[in-house]
Amino acid sequence: MPRVTVTVRDSAGRTVTTTATYSVAAPVLGGYYLSGGADPTADMAGGNFRSLTQYRSFADGYTFPGYNRPWLTNLGRAAVAINMVLELKHYGAADGPQTFTVDGVSYTVPAPAMTIQQRPGTTWPRAYGYGQVLAGQCDGLFARALAQYRTLGFGVNIQLASELDTDHEFGTTEAGRAYTWAESDARAVQAMTYIVNWFKARPLPAGTTFSVGVGGFDRACFQRTHPEALMAKLDFLQWNVYATAPEHTALARFRRTKDWAVADLGPVALSRPVIIAEWGVRVAEIPDQAKWIATVPAAIAALNAERGPRIVRTNYFNSGWGTLSPKADGLAALRAAYATRPYV
Amino acid sequence: MAAPTATATLNASTYSPGDQMTLTVAYSDADTRPLTVTVVVTDALGNSSAPARVTAVLDPLTVTVADDSGRTWTRVSDNGSVAVYRAVA
Repeated sequence: MPRVTVTVRDSAGRTVTTTATYSVAAPVLGGYYLSGGADPTADMAGGNFRSLTQYRSFADGYTFPGYNRPWLTNLGRAAVAINMVLELKHYGAADGPQTFTVDGVSYTVPAPAMTIQQRPGTTWPRAYGYGQVLAGQCDGLFARALAQYRTLGFGVNIQLASELDTDHEFGTTEAGRAYTWAESDARAVQAMTYIVNWFKARPLPAGTTFSVGVGGFDRACFQRTHPEALMAKLDFLQWNVYATAPEHTALARFRRTKDWAVADLGPVALSRPVIIAEWGVRVAEIPDQAKWIATVPAAIAALNAERGPRIVRTNYFNSGWGTLSPKADGLAALRAAYATRPYV
Repeated sequence: MAAPTATATLNASTYSPGDQMTLTVAYSDADTRPLTVTVVVTDALGNSSAPARVTAVLDPLTVTVADDSGRTWTRVSDNGSVAVYRAVA
């Protein structure tokens, strides 16, 4: 840590010395995600892309690096920081119980017993229940993921859940019992704590870090899901950022959840840097995505110059709301942005 | 004769590369005094010149700033009790 030494001397040669220390942070990592978990290597080539988000379900028998995804291993070995979102949400495997063997131990995991994202008029996705996690019924899933993770050869950030607020917004149901949004948040905190404890009790690849996932669009949920006891076990804060209205500025969108964090969270949480696992600009409302993207570096620099947690990774979500259209223009804008302070 | 006192304050604890950093040094010494000497010349006929004034400081203080990372701190202001320095992170 650099140190400034100030010396004040009077005419008789008497001196007093005082010091102040400071740190200069590493550049923010500019990152990416490509729709469908597809190979982003070509899109990232030639740009200062140093970070990547990926999504896997614990139900999937191929979590690390994923089914037919050798490129993830290549990117990780090339020092791209990987944010691996591991979800209790069930996909990548047939519905029903699973029996498999990990390191000579046979596990049987029951069918997922919870529904999430219970938006009216939609089919509610299934997920392993927080009660199932706490009962130890999902330990085999964690063991399978860990065994695969150990073969990667590099450490990743494990983000548990993609967006707890999205998952819980309309309540959840496990084993026939309904839980409100707030009840679901409280149950998730217990389950996330269990999972982090489970992993941390075992040897992990060097550089392994943890966070829990939120969209960050609801202040009360953000506070409920970030108690100090859980944050003490986690390495990062995380939220996602989308511009979905013409008046949305980069500074306002990136700062919304930060302001809630600074106002509502405790000192442990605020000591953690921030991963923006997803950010995006919705072309329907903001046709000139490139122009908006160009304003992001200054917004991140401004936020990081303020008090509160520093944003250290920002991964553009080229899918869904963030789909780049036209893609070439969007990618060029990302390349230009990531070649600018604070990304360099 | 008293020893000087000083405090040094940075405007942040962590900077991004390229940020402007500001260091504020507050300093004093109980012996340091401004002094003004006024000279009036009077001739034998009683005609006096206009007063000429010079100012000086008794026991003046000098402030030096060193940075072990090699950054150069440039003084941008100093009023005798507060000096402000800037450097680039």
